[in-house]
Amino acid sequence: MKIGIMVLEGPYQHQAADSAYHFVKAALARGHEIAGIFLFTDAVNVSNRFIKPPGERNIAHMFDELGQQGVDIVACTACAKFRGMKRDLNVDNIRLSGLGALAEMIQKSDRFVTFGD
Amino acid sequence: MSKVAVLMRKAPYGSVYTAEGFRAVMGIGIFEMDVALAFVDDGVYALVKDQDPEKLDMQPLGEGFPMLPEFGVDEFYVHQPSLEARGLSVDDLVMDVQLLDDAGLAKLLAECGTVMPF
Repeated sequence: MKIGIMVLEGPYQHQAADSAYHFVKAALARGHEIAGIFLFTDAVNVSNRFIKPPGERNIAHMFDELGQQGVDIVACTACAKFRGMKRDLNVDNIRLSGLGALAEMIQKSDRFVTFGD
Repeated sequence: MSKVAVLMRKAPYGSVYTAEGFRAVMGIGIFEMDVALAFVDDGVYALVKDQDPEKLDMQPLGEGFPMLPEFGVDEFYVHQPSLEARGLSVDDLVMDVQLLDDAGLAKLLAECGTVMPF
């Protein structure tokens, strides 16, 4: 099954990004395909390459690793602008794009799962 | 292509959800996807007339929804128990909507292939 994912909360503030990560890992392990992960609103902060949490899981690296495995991860361009983020702030395997990318993911997905508050 | 339900659940100005939900609807509406908007819980406040959030440095959201049919989005549902629990009626809203009870809302969500909760 093709599964699309949207995350609506920032890393460390809320469990949504962690849950999305574990859900995607589990889905891939079961042989499902991930149509894409859309990082919306504060979730764009997941893509910040300078995240360096003392002694804890690195959520930016976790998502970067998913991207490295071929999962298409998109951070909302407008949301990134609202949060003062620049293109070179992003980890390598997360790209910036608009809501068109979200629409495409929904169209490609058999199921679409939102992680938020 | 199956229908997308966008669920507005939160009050319009205390957090960014309603504004971003609105943006998402515009974004996917222009891709000619079939979109239904459903307002539940505090989300019903997003449709109340005469919103004036200027003192909060926010832009009014209510006026945006009646413009959505121009973007191909013309299905608007309001959860009637949520409306009534807040002392509101359809007369307080900026536009005509279809009212749903619990069962109607459940049926709508079941019919939609994708549900995006904001």
